[in-house]
Amino acid sequence: MRRAAPILAAAALFVLPLAFMDARTYVTLTVAGLAMGMLIFLVAAGLTLIFGLMDVLNFAHGAVFSWGAYVGFSVALLLNQRWGWATAPSVTLNVLLLAAAILAAMVVAVGLGILLERVIVRPVYGRHMFQILITLGATIVIEELIRMIWGPNDQVMPVPLTFQGSWDIADVIVLRFPVVAIVLGVLVYLGITLLLTRTRVGLIVRAGVENREMIQALGHNIYRYFTRVFAAGSALAALGGVMWAMFSQSVRPAMGGEQLIFAFIVVIIGGLGSVTGSLLGALIVGLSYNYVAFLVPKAAIGINMAIMVLILLLRPTGLFGSGK
Amino acid sequence: MTEARLTPVQRARQAERGRRFRQPAPYLRLACLVLAALVPLVVPSFQVLDLAAKIAIFAALVASYDVVLGYTGIVSFGHAMFFGFGAYAVALSLGKFGAPTYGHLAAGFLAGVALSATISVLIGAFSLRVKAIFFAMITLAFAEFALILAVQLTHITGGEDGLSPTLPGIFAVSYEGGRLGGIPVTGRLVTYYFILAICLVLFVVMARFIHSPLGRTLQAIRDNELRAEALGFRTFVFQIASSSFGSVVATVLGGCYVMWVRYANPESVLGIHVMLDLLLMVIIGGIGTLYGGIIGATFLLTSQTLLPHLRTLAASVFAGSMVMQRMTERWLLYFGILFILMVFFFPKGVIGTVRDALARRAPSPSSSPPHPDPPARGGCPTR
Amino acid sequence: MPPEPTHGSPPLLEVEDLHTYIGQHHILQGVSLRARRDAVTVILGRNGAGKTTTMRTIVGLLRPRAGAIRFEGRPIHGLPPYEIVRFGIGFVPEGQGIFATLTVDENLRVAMRDESPESRDRLPRIFALFPALERFRQARAGTLSGGQKQMLSIARAFVNPNRLLLIDEPSKGLAPIIVEHLVAALQEMKSQVTVLLVEQNFAMASALGDDFYLLDDGRTVHHGRMVDLVHDHALKKRYLGV
Repeated sequence: MRRAAPILAAAALFVLPLAFMDARTYVTLTVAGLAMGMLIFLVAAGLTLIFGLMDVLNFAHGAVFSWGAYVGFSVALLLNQRWGWATAPSVTLNVLLLAAAILAAMVVAVGLGILLERVIVRPVYGRHMFQILITLGATIVIEELIRMIWGPNDQVMPVPLTFQGSWDIADVIVLRFPVVAIVLGVLVYLGITLLLTRTRVGLIVRAGVENREMIQALGHNIYRYFTRVFAAGSALAALGGVMWAMFSQSVRPAMGGEQLIFAFIVVIIGGLGSVTGSLLGALIVGLSYNYVAFLVPKAAIGINMAIMVLILLLRPTGLFGSGK
Repeated sequence: MTEARLTPVQRARQAERGRRFRQPAPYLRLACLVLAALVPLVVPSFQVLDLAAKIAIFAALVASYDVVLGYTGIVSFGHAMFFGFGAYAVALSLGKFGAPTYGHLAAGFLAGVALSATISVLIGAFSLRVKAIFFAMITLAFAEFALILAVQLTHITGGEDGLSPTLPGIFAVSYEGGRLGGIPVTGRLVTYYFILAICLVLFVVMARFIHSPLGRTLQAIRDNELRAEALGFRTFVFQIASSSFGSVVATVLGGCYVMWVRYANPESVLGIHVMLDLLLMVIIGGIGTLYGGIIGATFLLTSQTLLPHLRTLAASVFAGSMVMQRMTERWLLYFGILFILMVFFFPKGVIGTVRDALARRAPSPSSSPPHPDPPARGGCPTR
Repeated sequence: MPPEPTHGSPPLLEVEDLHTYIGQHHILQGVSLRARRDAVTVILGRNGAGKTTTMRTIVGLLRPRAGAIRFEGRPIHGLPPYEIVRFGIGFVPEGQGIFATLTVDENLRVAMRDESPESRDRLPRIFALFPALERFRQARAGTLSGGQKQMLSIARAFVNPNRLLLIDEPSKGLAPIIVEHLVAALQEMKSQVTVLLVEQNFAMASALGDDFYLLDDGRTVHHGRMVDLVHDHALKKRYLGV
């Protein structure tokens, strides 16, 4: 019950904006906020697991996100230019384009993730300062490679026709792509949760997050699991990258860095190592950002910082943090 | 007092004092200072003077970052933000309250220092109490927030365009103080020596800081936080003190920077690039060396000044090659690779590596016995 | 003092002149011991004598700087822990090391090195030894009492067909009545597995132990039969303060 109280209080806070706007605006903003939250969650989930399992703060996570976005962008561009899969009024082709972009981005990200883990992170296990420095160095390189390959400027991401525009449900305008993002986010969360709670690998990963030493003393090679988690986290970041590119209809080399800051705030709010905490934190950040951006546009960025500081004051280890 | 009555610490300090003037380091530092002082007298080029002033400022800035990173062992991404606070505080104070006076200048510095001290204590209290790693994440978030604020609060900060304050009295561009020994005394020249003097004072203060009991406690915490905690130190209080000290120094330097370039915009004093430059400089010079910043700043700022020329050269040689052009445009890529290689292979930077090499060649009998468990790689293990 | 070969069967575990550093501190400065098959060997010594460090070095969580560890004659020092324990060693660390957010059942399953039928068959035996674990099988391990957590930790090491159990201070912080339960359970396990036990509680140590090794300042200073130690008041007073 003591755990439920703050959650209920938080839920009440999210009804509050209704007092300052009409219901239709509220629904629109809520959908946008949930979508944004889900996309941040995709980035934060990998980050939090990587941290929880191996105590590695991966600053290169944002750069992987950007790579995912750009690979997805290239695939989408190619498919659209060749066969017009984005502009075709066919739901199947549109969905295929999205799927192909996501798949390609995730495959590349898995490779990039394994490379990062083996070459960059592994030599500096257990030394936080060098981890942060080295992953930051990797970020510079990865981001600059994007600028070298795709050029330094913003580019327009082709969005499939099906996902453009909005549905008009009982006079409420609901944008289509955010709904897709929400559905995808829910699916990913369920997928991660099932993987963690229903499979043996998930069991070992959960135990490893709690006590890295003991899981080794029980005979499990934690490094093997960590490579997998790193690769999976990178794939999620890439998925987030493609979705974000479509959400904002553009790709930029620095997009990952900005998302990483959101993801950090989310991970701190949710508690390091907790996937559910990340989801909750991401939704809090996404929703409050959108409400505040509508009501007091200039305070939008500040609200996330304020929430983070407030939560750190109340629960220094975050909502679901173990405090280890 | 006889030798035998001394505590081990006192004996070590005495030995250190005795060795001090037999080592090359103090003379090298002095040479750097003399060199910097001679620049305006010998080389009449503004470009060189500009470079020298920026090197002085950044060398001290890197040193102040090193106090936090190398001597306290916590990673901050907010150091450029504190630099920016100083820059904006001085620029605002000079530009927004009528004709600039020395009082405005001083008030700007004081306001910046007060703001930085408050913010860094707050950030430290929120993050270091829980986990030192939070510090990196939270400072990054704060830095981004400050950047956005500086861009958005156009009516105060001038937005992307920034502020271009004019300096009072002897620092003003228009100031002419006659000639001194054949050298025309201009506002630029006065400002240059003023900044050089401040950097010198800051270096002395920082060197005193790291050798003070507080500084030694911080290094003990860095090397073994649990043990320091067991000895009864409230480690996070010390860490907050040190990060705030470093931030305040950075703020003063931000003010100096604005006095020199007479310009502050989000990109040049708050941006992520300032932070990246700082990191590169500290890595190149050497973490935990304090004076490494001189080498790091000299290397990076000089190469950044020369890079445009290199690019023009490359463009003329490989005319028409798009890939080549892109490759030369992306010089940050090479700095990134250099950064990674430095962290992997020379984690102690230029100064640390040279120091080690010297120590190996001439093992002094009075130095401490060989470390039984040298850290696998790097001088600053943070466990 | 190097341990004499104990008569009877060759030792299951042999530790020879072990030196381990933690950071810059030379903790183990020459620990030697042998664990006889099917016996309980107890490591005794004051706080800070190096008992826990010895256990952690054997299981591979700490890397020895010098010395040798042989399990069934095979050198295992320098291997990572997850390879060492797979030779057939179960580890019950100081402070239990259970996964508090996992259920009791999950704690047992994660301990099974491969979820083979053989491991599953051991479960009834474990539940017979520790009935409380079966009752709270679906409860989060963090909600268990101290004694139950200790039982879970021991059960976790017993779930694999291990030949050696390393048990570090099982009685620490437990009420005397709980300790009695533990002793009874360990007595029963004794017939099936070799045990290396670190124990401060001398009553428990003497009730379970066959052989003993005395550590002081990171060195093996004495060893012999437990029955002999029980009557050697001078030795007990000198090294254990009892």
